[in-house]
Amino acid sequence: MPPAPATATATATAGSDARPTSPRRVQLFVTCLVDRFYPGVGDAVVSVLERLGVEVIVPSDQTCCGQPAFNGGFTGEAAAMARHTIDVLTARPDPVVVPSGSCADMIVNHYPGLFRGDDPYAARARDLAARTYEFSQFLVDVLGVTPAPCPGGPRLAYHASCHGLRGLGLHDQPRRVLQAVAGDRACALPDAEVCCGFGGLFAVKMPGISGAMLDAKLDAIATSGAEAVVATDVSCLMHIGGGLHRRGSAVRVLHIAEAVAGARRA
Amino acid sequence: MTGAREQILGAIRDGLRHAVLPDAEADAGAVAAPRAGTAGTVGREKLWQQFTEALTALTGRVHHAASAAEAAGIVAAVAAEHGARTYLSWDGDQLGCDGILEELASRGLARVTYDLPFDGERRAAEVAALGDVVLGLTGSDAAIAEAGAIVLASGPGRGRLASLLPPVHVAIVSASRIWPSLPALLADAPELVGRGANTVVIAGPSRTADIEMTLTHGVHGPKYLHVVVMP
Amino acid sequence: MPSAAAAFHRRIDDALADTRVRAALASTMTRLTNGRAGALASLEASDAIRDQARRIRAHTIAHLDTYLDQFARNADARGCRIHWAPTATDATRIIVEIARAEDISLAVKSKSMVTEEIELNAALGAAGIRVVETDLGEFVVQVGDDRPSHIIAPIVHRRREDVARLFQEKLGARPEEVADVAAITAFARRLLRRDFLQAGMGISGVNLAVADSGSFCLVTNEGNGRLSTTLPRVHVAVMGLERIVPNAADLGIVLQLLARSATGQALSVYTNIISGPRRPANPGAPGAHGAPGAPGAGEPDGPDQLHVVIVDNGRTRMLDGPLAEMLYCIRCGACLNICPVYRHIGGHAYGGVYPGPMGAVVSPGLMGLDQWSELPHASSLCGACKDVCPVRIDLPHLLLTLRAQAADRELGPWWLRLAMPIYAAVATRPALYQWLGSLAARVSQGLARGGWIRHLPGPLAAWTAARDFPAPARRSFLQTYEQRRGRTGNAS
Repeated sequence: MPPAPATATATATAGSDARPTSPRRVQLFVTCLVDRFYPGVGDAVVSVLERLGVEVIVPSDQTCCGQPAFNGGFTGEAAAMARHTIDVLTARPDPVVVPSGSCADMIVNHYPGLFRGDDPYAARARDLAARTYEFSQFLVDVLGVTPAPCPGGPRLAYHASCHGLRGLGLHDQPRRVLQAVAGDRACALPDAEVCCGFGGLFAVKMPGISGAMLDAKLDAIATSGAEAVVATDVSCLMHIGGGLHRRGSAVRVLHIAEAVAGARRA
Repeated sequence: MTGAREQILGAIRDGLRHAVLPDAEADAGAVAAPRAGTAGTVGREKLWQQFTEALTALTGRVHHAASAAEAAGIVAAVAAEHGARTYLSWDGDQLGCDGILEELASRGLARVTYDLPFDGERRAAEVAALGDVVLGLTGSDAAIAEAGAIVLASGPGRGRLASLLPPVHVAIVSASRIWPSLPALLADAPELVGRGANTVVIAGPSRTADIEMTLTHGVHGPKYLHVVVMP
Repeated sequence: MPSAAAAFHRRIDDALADTRVRAALASTMTRLTNGRAGALASLEASDAIRDQARRIRAHTIAHLDTYLDQFARNADARGCRIHWAPTATDATRIIVEIARAEDISLAVKSKSMVTEEIELNAALGAAGIRVVETDLGEFVVQVGDDRPSHIIAPIVHRRREDVARLFQEKLGARPEEVADVAAITAFARRLLRRDFLQAGMGISGVNLAVADSGSFCLVTNEGNGRLSTTLPRVHVAVMGLERIVPNAADLGIVLQLLARSATGQALSVYTNIISGPRRPANPGAPGAHGAPGAPGAGEPDGPDQLHVVIVDNGRTRMLDGPLAEMLYCIRCGACLNICPVYRHIGGHAYGGVYPGPMGAVVSPGLMGLDQWSELPHASSLCGACKDVCPVRIDLPHLLLTLRAQAADRELGPWWLRLAMPIYAAVATRPALYQWLGSLAARVSQGLARGGWIRHLPGPLAAWTAARDFPAPARRSFLQTYEQRRGRTGNAS
């Protein structure tokens, strides 16, 4: 595994240093898909945060937030995974940064409801929910920084992953980060806020519909002139990237942390 | 019959014990008074401007008249446009324009009346006889600026057919009776609901876009709507 | 797979294969969603109005027995005859009896989804009563023995040429009479006018009843709602028992949102507020229920009899538990118009009367999960529906609730029921989780070429049917992080 890119651009430029009251230490909840399929995204998050003067702790016992079970209606299994995740992340008081809108949404909006009011995990879930953030949300809302521009690099189009957008209300944080990093390399993506069709198990339970929604997204990408598609969630990127590769397209997929870190990925 | 009523109401009461109802507040008063969209801060002239824009966009037409003679002239012109010699109408004292029926008679337009007996079988034949009438004339109870809509309450001397059967509908509206929105009107004048057996809010001519989203007018209701604003 | 689920998947496949209908759907949905967006953008304080509409509906449902009872008593005082129908069969029996008692041979109907639920047309037909749908789209559906595919735009799946051909074949129209949309509409108008005039009964739905005045409102664009509830001497209004608000002011608030959310119009062309049958001269006189009063001094027209049939048909079942919020729905169709799934599969694929996100909740809600357990899974949970709902119903939450209910009852694919407990057991054991992950990664390397897998086995083949699958990393981020950083993150 190569080390974090040495070409990483300078720390936040003057005027956009992390706020003095910002946390100096966070925990990284890397998510199962990043852990196993896109470990470079984890590296990019750590690299960006450390450049901003934030210490990153990576609890080694973390696994999966349980969203696939929850979305399938398997609330018992989801609660079991939630308890484990809560145990891991509440061992320390530090805020949690997640490179995924949907996993952050799971923790923030759905964990508390998995436990009955008198269950001690209910209160612990609420405590955790109050200090868990998606990556771009953390940069913009908590640290208050604007990343430095990253000159050169591909033309980027932003796809708005649904759970982050509508669950966490990330209407502009990812776009602001991307605009700061990419400047005039940013391309408009038609129907950017229309679902790509991943939907977790939906992709294999309803493959025809998922495929039709993917086609619509790929067609929109083709008209955008983008060389890479950026999103907050590797789940969407896995689905979109798989479709682009199947079509033989040269367009790549990039996680927003990689765009900020100035990373390249083949 | 009462058995079924008790069955349903009982099932509702039972269901409410376990119903999960987010944002249900206990106090009815908390939801009663509409806050938004009802303040009458916009002046009347502005409201009529808004009304005219809205109704014109719906292909309706707005005219102004200061007297019964002027109003009759407008109605006669519309009638001539459509080759109408006869018309259905509300009674003279309901139109909000005293003397207009006489004025219309003097311009050669003949009012057709009908008599539908209650619980009668002659109904269909009576109504069918009205099939050739091209123009209907009514008054109105209110206008709604943002929708370009007029409000007509039924009642004695205020038949529904005049605004429903003929392809052309002319409505006389009073300049003083305009509200910004429907909630504003209903908050101010809730008695309009229930004053007659039927209160209809008409926003333009009848329309459909059911076939290929292509807009067509005059499906089952009037195709042409004219509003005559009088002081 | 149980047959209802298999049938659903077949319908989905058929729908996806029909590229013509998909294109028609897409352009219609776009037009309607743009209409809605524009209409709400120009509505002052639209967010506050939506919040208020939600509270009105929530409050009403929370006191539904009180308001329904109040409505029934006030409507009765105005001369309406109120009927209560716990089941669909009760409802159709009541309406057939009214028709028989009044010697009705022809009824004209204004579009009503609840009458589709209870299959009213079939019941009346079986009793020898001809029913004519008068809403242009529903008329075309009826003539073509078809089913509506959208609750607001029933023939979005039909082309003009289809309709023209249908009218020629079934109604004897001449080619020049159906040459374009205007001609087709005029033909339908002439034909239906005869039925309006002759029908002894008019049947409508109820958009919203108003409890404190015993009134109800009926909303149409074409005018068939007015004609069918004015010309015939008997009007039967069929009402889902949840379609009610407390008073006129509340009605005004909700009506601000209904047409705007459905099509982008500020108001539908005709908002008809009905308060009883045609009023005789002395409404308080004995026999005021449709009996003759002094001629000439009562209302000149309108129906002599007005019946309101209050229908349950599973609504109290939906009220009894976590799905109750679905009863706030005012049937505007905004969720259908924005849903990317609906856009691709259209209304017929959903089966049942109600399609789209609301249909995926209402069908199992009213009728139970047994035949409808797949429907809540036909969603990526993107949340766009909740964004546009005028009363902010949390549809994704309701879909998740139904999924959980289905899982509890062990409905759904066997492989998932097997895989989930295993996954949970693994994911709560970090060392096992990492070890199995590496094992799976090594196995996948065998399937991968250049970092991508083109064919996955078993149920996962559904993924690779449409897209490639990235090869997982041999060593995960967590596995290598500690080594590279030389520090642990464990609290212990």
